Amino acid sequence: MKIIQIDKGQWVSGLNQAAAAYRLFGPVKEKEFHSFKPLTNGLQPDLSCLNTRLSPKSIIYPQSEVMFDYSLDERREDHHQLMEIAKDYSPKAVVGIRPCDAKAFVMVRLNFDTPDYQDPYWLRAYESTTFIGLGCEAPCSACFCTSAGCGPYHEEGLDVLLADAGDRYLAKVMTEKGAAFMAAAGWKTAADGQADATLAGMRQAAEAKITSFVPTDNLRSLPNNDLYNATFWEDVSFACINCGACTYSCPTCWCFDIQDETRGTSGVRLKNWDSCMYPLFTLHGTGHNPRGTKLHRVRQRFMHKLKYFVDKYDRGIQCVGCGRCVRLCPVNIDIRRVALMMNGFAASGEACAIES
Amino acid sequence: MEHMGIEPGRLQFSWISSAESTKFVEVVTQVTNAIKALGPNSDFTKKLAEVA
Amino acid sequence: MLSYAEKIREIAGRLLSSGAVDMVIGFRQGTVPMMNEPHFAKTPAEVGKLVWDSHCGINLANYLTDRKEKIGIVAKGCDSRNIVTHVIENKIKREQLVVIGVPCKGMADKRRIAMKCPGEITEVIETETAITAAGNGFSQTFDKRDVLQHNCSLCIHRNPAIHDELVAELVEEQQGVDRYADVRSLEAMTPEQRWKYFEDLLAPCVRCYACRNACPLCYCPTCFVDESRPQWVGKGQDPSDVRTFHFLRAYHCAGRCTDCGACERSCPVGINMRVFTKKLEKDCLDLFGWEAGLSLDVRPPLDVYRPNDPNDFIK
Repeated sequence: MKIIQIDKGQWVSGLNQAAAAYRLFGPVKEKEFHSFKPLTNGLQPDLSCLNTRLSPKSIIYPQSEVMFDYSLDERREDHHQLMEIAKDYSPKAVVGIRPCDAKAFVMVRLNFDTPDYQDPYWLRAYESTTFIGLGCEAPCSACFCTSAGCGPYHEEGLDVLLADAGDRYLAKVMTEKGAAFMAAAGWKTAADGQADATLAGMRQAAEAKITSFVPTDNLRSLPNNDLYNATFWEDVSFACINCGACTYSCPTCWCFDIQDETRGTSGVRLKNWDSCMYPLFTLHGTGHNPRGTKLHRVRQRFMHKLKYFVDKYDRGIQCVGCGRCVRLCPVNIDIRRVALMMNGFAASGEACAIES
Repeated sequence: MEHMGIEPGRLQFSWISSAESTKFVEVVTQVTNAIKALGPNSDFTKKLAEVA
Repeated sequence: MLSYAEKIREIAGRLLSSGAVDMVIGFRQGTVPMMNEPHFAKTPAEVGKLVWDSHCGINLANYLTDRKEKIGIVAKGCDSRNIVTHVIENKIKREQLVVIGVPCKGMADKRRIAMKCPGEITEVIETETAITAAGNGFSQTFDKRDVLQHNCSLCIHRNPAIHDELVAELVEEQQGVDRYADVRSLEAMTPEQRWKYFEDLLAPCVRCYACRNACPLCYCPTCFVDESRPQWVGKGQDPSDVRTFHFLRAYHCAGRCTDCGACERSCPVGINMRVFTKKLEKDCLDLFGWEAGLSLDVRPPLDVYRPNDPNDFIK
């Protein structure tokens, strides 16, 4: 693992050079907020962005994606066949992704890359992408990454971690993909011997700025059914309007819906993001809906994030503490408050009277 | 519809009773010609989903 | 306005103790600046959590649909008009409700405030007339009238249209308000310009349906966008589908929308979708002289056929 020094004067030229070998993505401000956009025509990533409004998951996992198409027109050679759509899996690089969002991809991979099933769309997109992360010097007030097994300078999921050291970036290169990107950009000056210590200091300083903490130590050991039957769910779920703001902005949410759209004798099969908050998410073909009420759905979301995932994978909660759901929920349902209630739940069946 | 940017003249209404066959033919012919004169609507159409 | 919270708690406590209602729906303090969470109290002991300030923009009438209990509901002018509409549309019975009316001078627009501040806002303090937003290294104070939600700046029904209790004296209604300046500026554009305007407006939409779900009028068990047999609208991100969702939803709100602004307030990507509904509101006013939700005794014009309904568009 080496640390390379990028003089800020060489930043733009390096990126332009890398653009010859990679399709670059980075945070760009449009109107009120930042989104990850393709950096075409010399567009520069805005690294002063605290974080993008929606997560970068759409770079790897577009909201609507055509899986394959077909035609019944017998004049075509490929008629009555499901044809894979040509997609561009040439190398991509995401520049300026925050450590929380990068770690989220590693978590989501647990779902799309299993011994039994692999999702080729997600995996091919993910594996052809290099992640150049930017450490957070000034975490937001709703960020609780250190409680979620992550942190402002966390390295999981990143190929390179950049730290802003004033007149230069310190770039910690952690993988071969990262090294390849640095070479393509022409950034090769090794940082001095102090770099490790400088980086460690920046990490500590950033972690000290986190003001939001969420206890999660009891979640693993709490009995599932007791949590499920707790009496606080009515209070938690009342305000929810069952929209998809939390799920769509969340970097660790992965659910989708598959549907065909046809026009005449041709059609496509689409994969669209779906949300467990929607009333029809669990509607069965029989007409039965096991999560027909708001309480069921809200409970399911928090149990999934804070309990079922914890039990199934034993790697902590299905959350990276990015704070988007907290800031974007139209009615201010706060996962931190719910985590506090769940973690503090006494298994005797009495809800702990914890309020934020 | 017009507020949203669809050209005027694409949406038309007429009262026609089932007993007014002549009027029906006239209106259908007139509207068909009017729409053809406007040309194909290229904005608000969907062939197959324009997505990733 | 800062004393409203006390009064709401007093009324709520009284209603719950006497058994006049089974629950009171209001707001409790939010966990992030400029937000509050819709909340219910079921016992007098719980009313202490009810709050009121300039960040109570969500329309609480949304939480009444098809409920069976007796409910005390905190309602601003716009909310109360939605309650009237709910009663007229049989989504709740008038007898079930004790409307705790709040004469309102407008809610603050947190996006507007955030745009005027140089960094993340970590604390917001309010006085009767001003809001101060502070963050790391800055503190800015705004006159409330400069940072109102757009719909509030144009409001002509600030006092509740119905109420059983009043939290304060009625406030003066705004005079000489031009509610449709934005509609007219769109009407002055060419069709191509308008098409492009709406294309730009809807580009960030992610079909999260926060606007639809925050709206008290949208209570269909299965919304037209969720229907698949038959399927009216695609569920993906094709621009025609996104546009169809918005304009068709606006049509379904025609003659019913009270311009409460909950839709714009809820949108996670900041879309000003009221440009759809304002046009239909203007048309209802021009064609039928109609404003939604002002009286329990009059059926809305789109509900009723009258022989002199405007029909000069039908050839």
